This record gives sequence, C-alpha cells and structure tokens, in this order.
Amino acid sequence: MVQIKDAALAYKILNGLICVYKPACVSVRQVQHKILTNLCRDLNDLPDRPQEKRVEIVGATNAPMKVKLLPNFADDPLVCGPRYIQKDFRCSWATHLGLFSSGILLLGINDGTKLTYLLNTARLTRAFKVHGQLGKATDTYFWNGRTMERSTYGHVSREKIDRIVANMQAAHQKTMYELSGLHIDSQTTYEMASQGLIRPANNKLPVVYGIKCIHFAPPNFTLEVQSVNEYDKYLWTLIHDLGVQLKSTAHCTGVQCIRHGKFDIPLALLRKHWTLEHILNNMDECRQLLEENENLLKPKSATLSV
Amino acid sequence: MFNIKMDLCHLIRFTIAYNANIKISRNFSSVVLSNSLVGVKYDQKNTVLESVSEDLSEVTPYFPESFNIAAYVNKSETLQNLIKLNVNLSKIEKKPHIVNKLLKMDFEKDMKNNIFFIKDFVDSENIGNYITKNPLILCETIENFQVRINYLQSKKFSNLQIHEIIARNPFWLMFSTERIDKRLGYFQNKFSLNGNEVRLLATKQPKIITYSIQHINTNSFVVKEEMGFNDEEVKALLLNKPKIWMTSQKSLLERFNYLHNVIKIPHSSILHYPNVLLCRNFKVKQRHMFLQTLGRAQYNANKENYIPLKALIENTDSEFCKNYAKCNVDDFNLFLKTL
Repeated sequence: MVQIKDAALAYKILNGLICVYKPACVSVRQVQHKILTNLCRDLNDLPDRPQEKRVEIVGATNAPMKVKLLPNFADDPLVCGPRYIQKDFRCSWATHLGLFSSGILLLGINDGTKLTYLLNTARLTRAFKVHGQLGKATDTYFWNGRTMERSTYGHVSREKIDRIVANMQAAHQKTMYELSGLHIDSQTTYEMASQGLIRPANNKLPVVYGIKCIHFAPPNFTLEVQSVNEYDKYLWTLIHDLGVQLKSTAHCTGVQCIRHGKFDIPLALLRKHWTLEHILNNMDECRQLLEENENLLKPKSATLSV
Repeated sequence: MFNIKMDLCHLIRFTIAYNANIKISRNFSSVVLSNSLVGVKYDQKNTVLESVSEDLSEVTPYFPESFNIAAYVNKSETLQNLIKLNVNLSKIEKKPHIVNKLLKMDFEKDMKNNIFFIKDFVDSENIGNYITKNPLILCETIENFQVRINYLQSKKFSNLQIHEIIARNPFWLMFSTERIDKRLGYFQNKFSLNGNEVRLLATKQPKIITYSIQHINTNSFVVKEEMGFNDEEVKALLLNKPKIWMTSQKSLLERFNYLHNVIKIPHSSILHYPNVLLCRNFKVKQRHMFLQTLGRAQYNANKENYIPLKALIENTDSEFCKNYAKCNVDDFNLFLKTL
C-alpha cells in the first residue's frame, strides 16, 4: 500500500504502467481522459504546497527604503488555476483496443510511456474471448451492422465447430513463418521451428497462435483466441469466416481481452476504481510484475514465451 | 505545476485599459518622464553612474499587455478583494471580454453595492462561487436588480421563493423582466400549468427558466413523442424532475430505451421514480445484468422478491450488493470484469 502525504510527492511517484479494465463502447481516448481528470481531481484535493511569498521594496528612492514580504496573490490557485491539469501528464497505451472491445488495457503514465513503447515493440500475445452468434450475418461482421443474411444453424454441433476451429488454427501457422523474417527453407528457420512457436518480426499481419471454442450453446458460442498484432475487426472477420465454413452464418457480439502478456484480469482496475489511491497501488503491482518478468519488455529470443 | 497556465483562449490578448486605482496607470507618463530625465543627464555626460537625488519611486518599468490575470493581481486592490471573496479568477479569465470589463472597474465604487445586494440572497460562503459563475452581475446596476425583484413580487412569488430563485440561478438577475415574463409564459402555455405550478417550477429548478428554449423544445419532443408519455404525465414529470429537460436528448433517449425496451419497465414505474432517467446508463445496465445472472431481476411490485427501481441507481455498489443482490461486492466486481 502506498501512503500519500501531499500532492507533490504523489505526482513524483506517478511514473509507471497501470492496467485498467476498459468497458465496451468507451473509446481508449475517453478512458485516458477520464483517468487523467480523476488524477488531477485527486491531486488537487490533497494538501498543497504553501503559497509563495513576494518581496516588495517600497518607499521614496532618496530615502531609506522598506523591504516587505507579502503573500504572492499570483500564486493563489484561485488566480493561476488548479495546481495540476491534464497537460502535466503524459499518457499512452501499449496496444490499442477498439471502441467495442472491452478488457485489459495497459496505460503508461509519465515515465511509464517509455514502458508502453517497449511493450508495444515486444509484441506480447493477447488472449481474447470472442463472443459470436450463429444464424445472422451483418455487413460489419458485428452486432451493430445491417443484417445481410439469415440462415439456420440446427446442423451445427460442438464437434463441427471444434474441427473447423482447429483447421483455422493450423492455417495460421503459415503466416507465423512468413512473419518470422526468415527464409522458409533455411536451416535457422528449421531450428527455430523445432523449439516451438515464433514471434513475428513486424506488426504488419495478425498472427493467431491458438483458437479454441470454450462455450457452445446455440446460437451463442465463445472462442478463445491467442494472437499477436490482431485488431478488433480482424477478430470479427474470424467469426464471420467460421460461420461460412460451418455452412451457416455468424456475427460477432463482443470482444473481450482477458490477458496481455502476463497482465491478466484480476490485476485490472474497474471503472469505479480509477482513483489516485487505486492507481498508485496498481502501478506498484505492475512494477513488481515487470521486475519479475524481464523478458516482457525486452524479449531475448524469437520464440514465443508468454 | 506551472504558476501561470495558458490556455488556447488566452491567445486572444486582453487589451487592458489601465486601471485607475493601480500604479500601472502611471506607467505611460512615467516612462516619458524618465526618458526626459535621462536625456538631460546625457548632455552632461556620465549619465547612469551619477546618483540622483529626486524620488524615482514613481518610475516603474513598462508593463506590457498580459495573457492572464495573474500579472495584475498583485497590484490591483479590486482583484485582491475578489480573491478574498473566494472568486475563482482563473475561471473568469477564460472569457477575455469579461476580464476587460472587470479590470476597468473599481471595487469600492462599482462592485461593492452589487455584492451587498447579492449578499442578501446568497450566503457568504457561496458568494465567490456565485460571482465566478456570473461575473457580469457586477457590471449590472442595482436599479435593474430591484426592478426584476419587484417583477417577481408582482407575480406573487413569496419572499422565500425569490431568495431561492436568485440564490440557485446566478443568471436570473441578468434577464430583463420582458424576457423572464416571456419565458414564464412559454412554460405556462407549453405545459398548460397554472400560476401556482409555474411558481413551483421556477422555485424548484430556477435554471430551467433561463435555459435554452430550443433545448427545452427538443426535450419536450423526446419525452412526449419518442418516449410516449401523455400530456398529463409530461406535466407531472416536469414538476417532479425538471432536470430531465436540461439533459442531452441523446443520452436521455438511450437511458429510456434501455429501461423500457430492454428491462421492460412500464411508463408508470418510470413516472413514479423519474430519477432513473438521470442516472448514467452504464450503471443501470451493469446492475441489471448482474441481477439477471443471479435471477433476481424482478421489478414488479406485485410479485415476490421485488427489486425497487431505486436499487439500480442509488448508493454504492457494496450497499447494493448487500441489500438487493444479497452477495459480496467482490462477486459483483468479478462479474463486471466479464462484461
């Protein structure tokens, strides 16, 4: 637990990474704005530094002059505005999460922005729960789109979904080798592939490492997807393709990020907990996690470890 | 962090008319004076090094135009007095045209009477806040205020009601009697209120009278046509929760949609507890979904295990869990992380 005495001290230790739970239908920028306004509000409520004094020399110049120490009105928060405003903070996210996705979002505050850059370039795997519904296809592949097609789904069974999902996972192995940046026929690629999965060298194409159907109650089903470089629309198309391959139709009803590297759901801060105290505690936990797992920030090998 | 915060709007420079009661006003003359002094000395050579016997305390450096009010505050009695009243100058400063007017005024001469007048209506702690919200009230004349108060008295508002109105709406006194009259008439016609009801509305939510009429019109449309309340229900709603007419119509409709079409709460229940329309949608949504997963989402008062509508919006989450969901707040938090 962090003890907060005054605002200046609290501002000094506000350097690092926090892990928040982004609700659906709230954009990342709104989350960022909300957290910064809350931080400013809480910091301005804390005990402030004493008001500055002002030296004034008064009197006639041809006689001995008086030196006075007066309160400096220009330093009053009523005049110069609140002590902490949003512009005093730097804030950035590690990887973007679309407007309709919910789940884990890593935000760097002040010096933590360097960490988010490293996390972004380290390309950690993210695990998603992608909720889908059979029987309807929409033009955006998401629930908010226009309905393009309707179909029956009585013939879809758990086994069929499992088979096709395994197929899709295998098909993605090829992109993994392509994005490793190595020649597919070389000895190095062989040696690397024999060690396990390979991380992508750039962020151009989404790489899916694992898909699994974890819940099936027609017409609703849920997939768990482990991937790198993905974005929300890509996951929607995944559901749409699955629907087509099942000889039916499907659209996505929700995307939830449940893991980002080693950052998981119990660590994430809910919307009602976005206050200074909770944020400082969360920052501490994230710092410990990063210290324990150094390869989160600077992975040494090309194989997939987390 | 920084002593002087500059906002974009400060780029519009204050063109400050030099204030009569502060030293700055003498700057121009003294600059000229000092130049002539130096000029004389220059002729005699050994200019600056020679000591001067006259009193030069009148000579001050040239004071350029400033981006913000903090530059003037140490020299100006008027501004210092305003700070002592707890007026937030940093907020006023965002509107440069108001600052221009304020800097030209003198506390004793121009502001004092107005502040005394307001003090009769607002208690002393809130007076700073009052002036921060409407600094232009210091520029108005007392006679105008008196006329506007007299108008309210002529319309049979009781003294207590008048105090309430003036204290809760800093902008009321800025409106001429014709405008106020037109607006009161508008509400009377639009919602077919009688005299007592108009007075009740104006006292209950004075801000709605001076609110944008266009906004009131759109919200009336939303409540009547889109939500489907009938005329009498609209009237009851207006007198019960006037604030509904001052919220954005988009979020209002979103909240109603969720309550009426998703949770299936009838109009009569919403009418009975209209506060649900003023609570942000995500709060209602997550509590309702939680109750639904527990199998407790039962809002019909005639059946058992009834959950009142106020449970969806009032109190903290832990109290909600204890009283209505009958579980630990940790379960609720865990549930929120699955949404």
